[in-house]
Amino acid sequence: MSIERLDEFRVSESPLTPETPEPTVVPAPANREIVLDVSNFSVDYGTGDATVRAVHDVSFSLRRATVLGVAGESGSGKSTLVYGMTRLLRAPGIISGGAVNLNVTSDDKSEEKVVNLVTANEKELRAIRWSHVSIVIQSALNALDPVRRVGKDFDEVLRTHRPDMKKEERRERAKTLLTMVGLDEDRLERFPHELSGGQRQRIMIALALALDPELVIMDEPTTALDVVTQREIINELLDLRARFNFAMIFITHDLSLLVELADEIVVMYAGSIVERALANELYEAPRHPYTLGLLNSFPPMSGPRRELTGIPGSPPDLSDLPVGCRFAPRCPYVMDRCRSENPPLATIKGSRRQVACWLQTGDPGVAVPVELSREVRVASDVRGDNS
Amino acid sequence: MSALSEPTRTPVQLSARDLTRHFVTRVPGRFVKAKHIVRAVDNVSLDLTAGKITAVVGESGSGKSVLARMLARIVKPTSGQLFLDGTEIPVGARRTLAYTSEVQLVLQDPFASNNPVHRVRHSLERPLLIHGAHKSEVEGLARAALSRVSLDPPDKFLDRYPHELSGGQLQRVSIARALCVRPRVLLADEPISMLDVSVRLGVLNLLKGLCDNEHLAVLYITHDIASARYIADETIVMYAGQIVERSFGTDLVDEPTHPYTQLLIASVPNPADPTSQASETKEHTTFAIAEAGCRFAPRCPHVMDICRAHDPPDFKVGEGHLSHCWLHANEPEAVVELAPEVRRREGETTKT
Repeated sequence: MSIERLDEFRVSESPLTPETPEPTVVPAPANREIVLDVSNFSVDYGTGDATVRAVHDVSFSLRRATVLGVAGESGSGKSTLVYGMTRLLRAPGIISGGAVNLNVTSDDKSEEKVVNLVTANEKELRAIRWSHVSIVIQSALNALDPVRRVGKDFDEVLRTHRPDMKKEERRERAKTLLTMVGLDEDRLERFPHELSGGQRQRIMIALALALDPELVIMDEPTTALDVVTQREIINELLDLRARFNFAMIFITHDLSLLVELADEIVVMYAGSIVERALANELYEAPRHPYTLGLLNSFPPMSGPRRELTGIPGSPPDLSDLPVGCRFAPRCPYVMDRCRSENPPLATIKGSRRQVACWLQTGDPGVAVPVELSREVRVASDVRGDNS
Repeated sequence: MSALSEPTRTPVQLSARDLTRHFVTRVPGRFVKAKHIVRAVDNVSLDLTAGKITAVVGESGSGKSVLARMLARIVKPTSGQLFLDGTEIPVGARRTLAYTSEVQLVLQDPFASNNPVHRVRHSLERPLLIHGAHKSEVEGLARAALSRVSLDPPDKFLDRYPHELSGGQLQRVSIARALCVRPRVLLADEPISMLDVSVRLGVLNLLKGLCDNEHLAVLYITHDIASARYIADETIVMYAGQIVERSFGTDLVDEPTHPYTQLLIASVPNPADPTSQASETKEHTTFAIAEAGCRFAPRCPHVMDICRAHDPPDFKVGEGHLSHCWLHANEPEAVVELAPEVRRREGETTKT
């Protein structure tokens, strides 16, 4: 490494001390409950004619200590969304628009500021990553270094982000973290290959929580595990969430899991949000035909056996999207309008839920099928509506 | 016309009796290399009958894939017997072309099991040529195989490469490849676990259709007990290489009797009944398998003294419903070690 590069490196290592007012840092808004606010966020892969829009104009916000579930099949852009949001996206991925405003509380809890992650520079990102936002990546089973003992991973994180911690303190912290996720302390001395899939996943979760972040992103954390281990990890996560009050974005293709786990769910299809609702509303009264199809794709565990149809066809090719609504070619309720105009994500009258479907515009000329106009049995309101 | 293009033949029964496979692993030590025996599959008996789907459910490491590979004769059993239509197959010998033309295996990951440098046409025509079809008829047979798995029109798919197809389409190609030699037994090892939720049902319905319309005997291996309940005629739950519970129809899911099955069912996300969530002890070691006694004893919430000392036999808890658990030793109907033939007959009579 050349001297100049070394200097650059040192600068980025220095603690966050803005000498000039940072343009990306604005005073905290009135609503301190919002941890993350994403607006009109888009991600492209490639440039020029070959551009594929993987995430299209996505907006949502996340309240403190709530769980947002993101559901969608492979290629729907759910992983790209979170990698883009956290600026972890690699080339050829490019953020092509939008803002991701994160409400950051300083370590001593004295002040709050809002940082736009899209425009933040490396130095600002470095101060935020892991301490304020952490991520448990997909295939976490392969994310641990196979030639290092697990304890080393904990030590490294703490040494980098908490330089004033002593070696013994770091060790103690690592032990506490392991106990938190239900592992024995002696696991710190193990190599990843000596641990089972579920244990490695717990290590990843413990690592993500090492610095007490406000937001933890989970990208398909339980997909590779069998149901019994999945159940244990989910229970563990809910328990930890209750104790440490972090907000969580949970990505999975398993909608039935999200219904149990999440407070609010967004369903993505071909890079866009097609429906956004509270978990129980979404389960009991889906409004978008795709959500209904997804819910009907899980064989029930009780009741008589009957034939299920799922969703015919296959997910669209993002480089060759249909004109109009992207779900139209697979939709059983398709109308003429769907084939020419793409429906916007609009709020349904009289509720806070949103859906992108021409059936749900409230137009009296459109007959909404019974299964897409069900009532929610219990109008329960999940935490947070204190405005 | 070769034998390959003949229509449906006589019903088949592939039977396994006490199939066992042990793997010997070496535990590295400084001087002594200790040997450790992994009992991957222990005394498993099952029958695959024409027109029926048999589901094997279990977590990773339960031995379900080894079982499928033994039935396909890719892995040689340590002991046990295989019968095809009542004729004993020499399990120690190399598998024959005649056997593979009757029994075919579909693997879990279609992207890994299809050669990326060959077109779909190659994957379908090559097994046909190997199995004695004439060059002039292979294209027609390959087309017919694609139509059977609802890949229409076949011309659109024959000249594609695997990367040009979606996971669901490619898994259908894998099934078509297995079907093109017109086997009578299809072994499907987790055929849907790598597929998207929205296309899973399509593949399940395809298997069900093949079974109903073409009288295929299907072994469906899965870790998803809900999908087993959806399509299976008989469901078998495996734990650590042993069958712990089996039943016909949906009895096993509706009234599980083995503590492991109960745990498995309680673990499935079930938004319809969120109160039913059982939670196990915090950390379990997946392979904490007791050396003596019941293999599930270290994790079992109902463990008794007898469980730690003796491995339970199969107790009958209902018509055709067996449970490998001491809890059912006192059931009035309990019959120890009911022969599979007797059990099947009983199951059939109650179901029809």
